[in-house]
Amino acid sequence: MTMNTFTIFWIALPLFLGFSSYLFPRSGRILTLGVALTSLVYSLMCLFQEAPTTLQLVDNFGVSLMIDDLSGFFILTNALVTAAVVFYCWQLNKSKFFYTQTVILHGSVNAVFICADLISLYVALEVIGIAAFLLIAYTRSDRSIWVALRYLFVSNTAMLFFLLGAALVYQQSQSFAFTALANAPMDAIALIFVGLLTKGGIFVSGLWLPLTHSESETPVSAMLSGVVVKSGIYPLARFALMFEDIDPIVRFFGVGTALLGVGYAVFEKDTKRMLAFHTVSQLGFVLAAPEVGGFYALTHGLVKSALFLIAGNLPSRNLKELRHQPIPRAVWVALAIASFSISGFPLLSGFGAKVLTMKNLLPWQVIGMNVAALGTAISFAKFIFLPHSSEVQSSVKSGFWGAMTLLLGGLVFANVVYYEAYTLGNIVKPLVTIFLGWLAYWFIFRRVAIKLPRVVEQFDHLIGVMSLMLMFLFGMVLA
Amino acid sequence: MSTHPELAELAALVPVLGLADASTLAPKSVLEACIFATVLIGFIGIIWKRNLMMKTLAMDVMSTGVIAFYVLVAARPGLFSPILTEGREVAYADPVPQAVILTAIVIGFSVQALMLVGVMKLSRDNPTLDTQEIERSHTP
Repeated sequence: MTMNTFTIFWIALPLFLGFSSYLFPRSGRILTLGVALTSLVYSLMCLFQEAPTTLQLVDNFGVSLMIDDLSGFFILTNALVTAAVVFYCWQLNKSKFFYTQTVILHGSVNAVFICADLISLYVALEVIGIAAFLLIAYTRSDRSIWVALRYLFVSNTAMLFFLLGAALVYQQSQSFAFTALANAPMDAIALIFVGLLTKGGIFVSGLWLPLTHSESETPVSAMLSGVVVKSGIYPLARFALMFEDIDPIVRFFGVGTALLGVGYAVFEKDTKRMLAFHTVSQLGFVLAAPEVGGFYALTHGLVKSALFLIAGNLPSRNLKELRHQPIPRAVWVALAIASFSISGFPLLSGFGAKVLTMKNLLPWQVIGMNVAALGTAISFAKFIFLPHSSEVQSSVKSGFWGAMTLLLGGLVFANVVYYEAYTLGNIVKPLVTIFLGWLAYWFIFRRVAIKLPRVVEQFDHLIGVMSLMLMFLFGMVLA
Repeated sequence: MSTHPELAELAALVPVLGLADASTLAPKSVLEACIFATVLIGFIGIIWKRNLMMKTLAMDVMSTGVIAFYVLVAARPGLFSPILTEGREVAYADPVPQAVILTAIVIGFSVQALMLVGVMKLSRDNPTLDTQEIERSHTP
């Protein structure tokens, strides 16, 4: 089978199997796992192909696709995270509805990672919005419905701006392809960016994310933070790689969001909210150096979904309570491995990803990103220093360990991507950062009890911020 | 014509309604302004209205504006339906934005329907549907 045929087969498979899992009620988890494994094979094909594949389906104005190693890394993330979520849910008796939505979400996220025109991107992002809405509202409680509704509202409003931008691009160059952005008017770029920044949870447009990701069910949070937000990040990284004028804007938002997210995360006392704010911050690392963003996205996806799955199995969400209540040692070990990886400790691929990103920064970004890395070490010291004991019985199911093996194993294995990182100078720097972070945690942040106001996360402000962002972007692209 | 000033006035309105040929750009920009005003009104409605139902409707107004903009973009090269006929040399409308916006309309109304179901479910325990109240009771 050639790459082209396999691409079409692979992109249609999730939609086909997603609906047919209704015909075979008991097969949901197996079908979902099958789809994830197909994506795994496909992503490896993307990573090992010699030249990028481009495809133009159905004539000139049809769907255009572009597959290169950036897509490969993102698809690999999607495959591993989905497989881990299926393992986690194996014994949890999820309904066929849950698996159908998961498969469709997986498929539409994949579609984002290979598309090369604005309208395919729009359709894929909207399908993601709908599937994510249904997954967030899966428990049918009033709170989950409200959180889901709020998500869909924000995402749909953002996508309307995106659509308006796409129309302006077409008006200028009679094409919806990404390449048409080269001579697009300024306002078109600003409108498209508002849509993508909001969808991807970047900077102040991303403040919808903490509540959504922390109030969802454990496996859903893992999917959302692990891959779904990256569907907004991938096009931004792609644009930055394609156009020199857009690159500085994307890098600027990378630094901005890295600092904003980590600023909230260090003060947060709720485990899931801290992880969600930290997602806002880590997406900044992906955008800060778009040329190596794919690898960073992979390590972040693995580690963040692992952390969300672990946090869902801790006895409490409140870090203050957790400090007085030992957790099972086995769970703590998994938590510590994930926390070490995200802080950039050698032997785990978070280290390689961080070194690679730091090497590709522009001079003006360096200080900001190092501060953000320090903030990461401080936030995750909260997890590493939790009390643990071997006498506490853990109540986790074996599916949990399957997911952990896959995700944490992936973190160790992904080291091969950038083994050149292991030089003395590279190793010393993160160790110093982590050490400083731990000191700061132990002497300052463990004692402070500052509760940052949540006013900016209110629904009306989330929508209002889009107009501010639009103004800001106009100013930025005109400058 | 000059004897009937009302008729002349009506004739002047024709281009404003978008019925002019493509060469006259001025009335199209009036239409464009109206469309952007619709988008803006919808957007402000989403922020301003406190009732969740009204917010949903305001979003629909905004999306109507966006759809109208696509129709306008499609009408730029000409106004005739893009069906090729032998011996008919006219300025056809651009079929691509029309085709694209059909997809967006379908997506738009499915999202709308889904949202209304959500609103309906919420209305059982929050009959006023006041967003700020709902938000207060559902933020941990």
